[in-house]
Amino acid sequence: MNCEDARIQLLDYQRGRLPLPAQREMRAHLDACSDCARADTVEQELTSVLEHRLPQHPASLALKRRLAAQWPAAGAEPAWWSRWRPRLAPALAVAALVLVATPVLYYERAASRLASERAGMVGEAVNDHLRLLSSQHPLDVESGGLHQVKPWFAGRLDFAPAVPFEGDADFPLKGGAIGYFRDRKAAVFVYARRLHPISLLVFRADGLVWPAHDLTRIGSVDAYATTERGFNVILWRGRELGYALVSDVDARELKQLAAKMTGGT
Amino acid sequence: MANEALAYVDALHNLARYLTGNETDAEDLVQETYARALRAEHQFTPGTNLKAWLFRILRNTFLSLYRRQRHNPTVGGLDTVDADAQGVATESWLLGDIDLDRLRKVVAEELEAALMTLSEDARAVILLDLEGLTEGEVAEVVGCAVGTVKSRLARARAALRQKLKDYGR
Repeated sequence: MNCEDARIQLLDYQRGRLPLPAQREMRAHLDACSDCARADTVEQELTSVLEHRLPQHPASLALKRRLAAQWPAAGAEPAWWSRWRPRLAPALAVAALVLVATPVLYYERAASRLASERAGMVGEAVNDHLRLLSSQHPLDVESGGLHQVKPWFAGRLDFAPAVPFEGDADFPLKGGAIGYFRDRKAAVFVYARRLHPISLLVFRADGLVWPAHDLTRIGSVDAYATTERGFNVILWRGRELGYALVSDVDARELKQLAAKMTGGT
Repeated sequence: MANEALAYVDALHNLARYLTGNETDAEDLVQETYARALRAEHQFTPGTNLKAWLFRILRNTFLSLYRRQRHNPTVGGLDTVDADAQGVATESWLLGDIDLDRLRKVVAEELEAALMTLSEDARAVILLDLEGLTEGEVAEVVGCAVGTVKSRLARARAALRQKLKDYGR
């Protein structure tokens, strides 16, 4: 391997994308060539500088709202159905009445209610996140670390919010605030990923209808991950508390953070 | 698909902002990208990378909408064709690289300014790589071979380091 080949393959090497023999060949070249070894260090530093310091330009909330309004909601009726519905619907309705028995209707109603409750929780989490973003003073307490933010909630909530992640260089903790989730108070911890805010709502879990299907294993919990209005949402339960993590960061990155919070890393 | 597509709006807007160089054009570009994606929804293959598909539409939209502005001097760096044209010949990017200490002290404004001096292709490959796309996906977005992406990315990053080195003088 010559230096030019090595330089072109440095990024692949650093990201573990080279096949094993090429990886070994590169390692041997870097051990033998001080110029390329230095280039390797510089490339790693450049990646770090780009990841941490390059200004990010997220879309404005106004643009997000415009796009969400323009893009048809998931599950919208297909065009052919809209055209034929006036003619077919009465006949189908009669057929349905004849075919569907009362227990089935009852089951459908219960399932629909559960789905609606689940969607309601996700919607509520996104609304809480948006409320925080649009607030003039989103944080009631600025972060000096979890040891400062967590005690601040004492006496302000009727539960102790357990958050086993104090933030790190990738997801720094910015602060906290009191919020509401449905009918109850919530502790809101605000983290960040580059310029993207991430809200973690912690609240009492009792009395809420939690998703029981389509769960994903994240860390040590079974979580429900979904997307609503362009925001990624992850819901999970831990003992008596419920957690809702919301942000517009990439779904994969939000799962990384959830894994840190649930003991996955 | 709608919800998942909208989850990528920040990443798309970030690339649009770095391609167009201003907020108004970036918003227009993102909006047009989603409009085109919606019209072409049936062409998306489920199971493939939706984010890369949207980036491809954005880049093609950028080329079709802004190609006529390529000679507009207010749009930084668009009329430079490729990284080689920016003084980063094969031999030179093996020599005289930026000092590591200098690189560690680079501030956000310098980084953004240096990136904006690169060609549109160079900016695109650097940003798409940062977004976590594989070289194969970047190749699909920018419409070239994987090997070309590999060398284009190496040269683009070398050009960026060179610019940052110049700022340090």
